[in-house]
Amino acid sequence: MEADDLALVSRAKAGDPEAFRALVVRTQRKVYAVALGIVKDRDLAWDISQEAFVRVHAHLSEFKGESSFSTWALRIVSHLAIDSVRKERTAAKDDIDDVRETDLAGGGEGILATALGNDPQENALRRELAGKMAEALAQLPEKHRTILVLREVEGLSYEELAERLGIHKGTVMSRLFHARKKMQALLREYAGIEPEEAAEGGAEP
Amino acid sequence: MTVCLLFAPMIGARPGDLTGEEASALAEHLASCNACQGRLADEEVLSGMLSEALMAEANRRDFSAFSDEVLARIPTLERAGARTAPQGGMLRPILGWVRHHRLLAAASALAPTLAALALIVYLGQGSAPEGAPVEVSSEGRSTMVLETSEGPVVLLGDLEPEGS
Repeated sequence: MEADDLALVSRAKAGDPEAFRALVVRTQRKVYAVALGIVKDRDLAWDISQEAFVRVHAHLSEFKGESSFSTWALRIVSHLAIDSVRKERTAAKDDIDDVRETDLAGGGEGILATALGNDPQENALRRELAGKMAEALAQLPEKHRTILVLREVEGLSYEELAERLGIHKGTVMSRLFHARKKMQALLREYAGIEPEEAAEGGAEP
Repeated sequence: MTVCLLFAPMIGARPGDLTGEEASALAEHLASCNACQGRLADEEVLSGMLSEALMAEANRRDFSAFSDEVLARIPTLERAGARTAPQGGMLRPILGWVRHHRLLAAASALAPTLAALALIVYLGQGSAPEGAPVEVSSEGRSTMVLETSEGPVVLLGDLEPEGS
């Protein structure tokens, strides 16, 4: 944990509102990004982010500094965001995490990598797709959005994901596989790569 | 293809995610499977894009009121914040008022200029016939000053700031 953060937390614990404000300002955008990725709605994400900081303040005395302040704040906001979208969960197809033969069929592996080229920072298609990522994410089912955000934005390991979501490590891997597969299919669609073309383009990395 | 069922979900693992045994088996499989090499290439090229996209969304949003709103939701902090009057604390509500009352703020800013212009016109009223409006320009804005028997009257025009 950064020394600055520790000092600010100590001052905030002692009741200094400006120290707490500084901690909020340092982490607010990432906290909002996590909430937005999970709940999709900007206003709801704003409200959940603020509620997360209210909870952070309420439990500040329990914060021991074992993880960074931002890690702690992100954990709280993701819990709140997941709670708020839990009702979205539906039964049937989306609840199946297993990877089956049919999930591996269809080809297209490596086609995005080829299209995006060797220098992704300079690639125009990459910039275009980056602008579509949030839109693509919003089209995924709640459990796939959630696991992608926790993995990609919060940076959780498989073990941490398993603990956070209450699932086995094997399920973490297969759920991530499905989430990425859906995301890549949407991005191929945005990039104008037809499924047939993808299937033909297939196996070359 | 069947063996890919085991390894495809492992693609995208970071150091420490897999056991040593799993990581070795995955590396061995990747060396001989074009489809999984393609999956890995897709994963690598897209890695980080989601985080960047969501942070870009967050950066596009105006967070200037966020911390104030958070503190306002914590009653004990709201009171403490008012007591300590932090740096910029006195200025913040004034700036907020100006943002929400642009027309009045513009009128307030122009008032001293208009008063000075009226005085100048009044002092030199002999040069203009009574009843004839005189156009006075200042800082790119023109204002009409009408001479009456009661003295000069400044005709206030549209005070909406340009570009607002």
